[in-house]
Amino acid sequence: MEDAFQVAAEWYDGTNAVRHSGELSWDGRGGFSLAASTSHIEFDASDLRFGETRPGRILYRRESMPDFRLILPEDIPPGLAAQLPAKSDYGAWIDRLGLGKAAAIFAVASAAAVALFMTAPDWLGPRIPASWERNIGDAMVGDFGGRICHTPAGDAALAKLLAKVDPAEEKVRAGVANMDMINAVALPGGQVLLFDGLVQQADSPEELAGVLGHEVGHVRERHVMTALLRQFGLSILLAGADSGTTNSIFGLASMGYSRDAEREADEYARARMAASNISPLGAAGFFERMAKQHGDTEDAPALLGWLASHPSSGERAKAYRNAAKKGANYPPVLTDAEFAALKSMCREDPDVEEFDFF
Amino acid sequence: MHGSHDAEGADSAFVFEGNWKDFARIAFPNLLLTIVTLGIYRFWATARERRYLWSRTKFVDEHLEWAGTGMELFLGFVMVFVLFGVPYFGLTFVAQALIARGYEAIGAGLGFVALLSIFYLGGVARFRALRYRLSRSRWRGIRGGSDHGGFVFGLSYMWKNLVGWIPLGLLVPWSMTSLWNERWSKMSFGPYQFEADADSGNVFARFLLFYLAPFVMFIGMLIMGGMGMLAGYGLGGEDGMAIGGIVGLIGIVLFFYLGLGLIAVAFYAKFYREVVGSTRWHDLHFSFEASTMDWVKLLVVDALLVVLTFGIGFIFLSYRHWKFFMTHLEAGGEILLDELTQSETKTAKHGEGLLDAFDMGAI
Repeated sequence: MEDAFQVAAEWYDGTNAVRHSGELSWDGRGGFSLAASTSHIEFDASDLRFGETRPGRILYRRESMPDFRLILPEDIPPGLAAQLPAKSDYGAWIDRLGLGKAAAIFAVASAAAVALFMTAPDWLGPRIPASWERNIGDAMVGDFGGRICHTPAGDAALAKLLAKVDPAEEKVRAGVANMDMINAVALPGGQVLLFDGLVQQADSPEELAGVLGHEVGHVRERHVMTALLRQFGLSILLAGADSGTTNSIFGLASMGYSRDAEREADEYARARMAASNISPLGAAGFFERMAKQHGDTEDAPALLGWLASHPSSGERAKAYRNAAKKGANYPPVLTDAEFAALKSMCREDPDVEEFDFF
Repeated sequence: MHGSHDAEGADSAFVFEGNWKDFARIAFPNLLLTIVTLGIYRFWATARERRYLWSRTKFVDEHLEWAGTGMELFLGFVMVFVLFGVPYFGLTFVAQALIARGYEAIGAGLGFVALLSIFYLGGVARFRALRYRLSRSRWRGIRGGSDHGGFVFGLSYMWKNLVGWIPLGLLVPWSMTSLWNERWSKMSFGPYQFEADADSGNVFARFLLFYLAPFVMFIGMLIMGGMGMLAGYGLGGEDGMAIGGIVGLIGIVLFFYLGLGLIAVAFYAKFYREVVGSTRWHDLHFSFEASTMDWVKLLVVDALLVVLTFGIGFIFLSYRHWKFFMTHLEAGGEILLDELTQSETKTAKHGEGLLDAFDMGAI
């Protein structure tokens, strides 16, 4: 055998730790042989796999014998080197492309994936069927464990109010939640809750119509699903480690809508109120009061979650006030008795539970 | 080359021959590829780093070899996500839904079960991470492993940790050494089991420093505060006293954090000397010679490296830690190479790599 096809080699056969030192030769027909006084092995060239490089040496493995190790010097005669498997550095794909090219391709693909992920809530949210959203909402919150206030008169008043701001055939599910907070939420599954604290501070039923219309707007404009997807995406980004708190009710209640979504919901509310001939001045009064009480700052305290993510109260009050038709005589949206029934429905419901998990 | 090796003949049985410039040629492309793949390359990056670190480490007369691949780490991660991440997500979702419906007790109970399972799996993962590393580490073609899946160890991990913390944490040294012994006694390399009989009594005195610390610190606080005020008074009367007091206060805060950190380092230094020194493999015994000062130097330089390079130095930490470990690890005794036959523990075929995604510090 010529020197060009032969090289000094060390190998371990994988059955024990004994090192064999001898020669590796190429037989010219697609096979290698290893010869030492202690060991003689023959195998196909196609069986050999590159392992790793060491200072001055290269390590090979065999596909058919996972424990076998062959160690060759770095400078191998070219004739023999041509028969050995190529070195691999980063992994198959990147070795083939080269580091720079591979990094550029990965960067473009990653940027596209990030863009898709970031914008997904906006284009995917409205395309998710409402029935799916309803199922998701039911799975998440169900009937709130009896924490929604019910009295016959109160329910009737709420239904009347809802009919004015939600003209659709299938109404959203609205309720007054037994919680002393000036807040209202639109939840997944077309469920809208006014908190009792908000009902108690209302001066007129028109105020409640404005808030209810706004929340119905979120449902009808499919903002809820968009916000839910964004929340879900965020919890994935946070490695899912914090999923315990991010998918909690708290997360839902404080689920933020974008400024644009808030404006859309306000516009929806004003349009419905105009169509039903409800005075927007009540809602304007509500926002003016909020602006006076809490200061008209962009970042309101977290407790006022509903107000915090909304456009500034003063600005909104103006928008509602401007929506009022000059000299129009709006009939009251509810009778005094109906308004009173709404206000007393949490106090008079004997079965309602406390909202104590917040 | 038959025969035996006397590991005590050489200066040190473990020699690390790598250098940081070679490592940088691996670490920087790894960093780049990890960023542009949004972290997915991480698994292959880890495999490349380990291949380098292992191959530049010599035990007696042959280099170690890391035979693990990035793909198996990646698959392990995906499997953990599907088998445990998704059920965990579902469980917390159901718990929240139950709380919303008014079944607070059941909901909270389910949430507790989810937390408990994480605790349990944390123990299992520690076991399997070590098993994975041994099964992918080769010396003269021979590898290690374990015949156990770590599921029993997970239970031990839970109850021993609980027992360790209940009496005001006084039994923590016991739980730590006992878990070390239990874990290593189930591992093997080639045909032989590891044995470990670390004694918590030897590290208990160091552990008590944690309890003495508040008293020492209180006195330290008084002295520092007083000295600061006196020094300030000497320099600038009443105003100086106030400034001196503030300087003293800053001193106290530093003293508190550094003091507590120092105690933790002192304990771990002693702990590692004890547990590694009590670990044996057939006729080989190990020792770990890093003093508290060595650990402090390691950590301080780590911190400086990361801070002064605006975080980029982070990629060199695995190199520094491996080098530290190999420099201070010693072994003595005899190895009969003929008898050192291949490990017969199970490998990848049997679902190895399942929980190895939690591949945290294995040793």
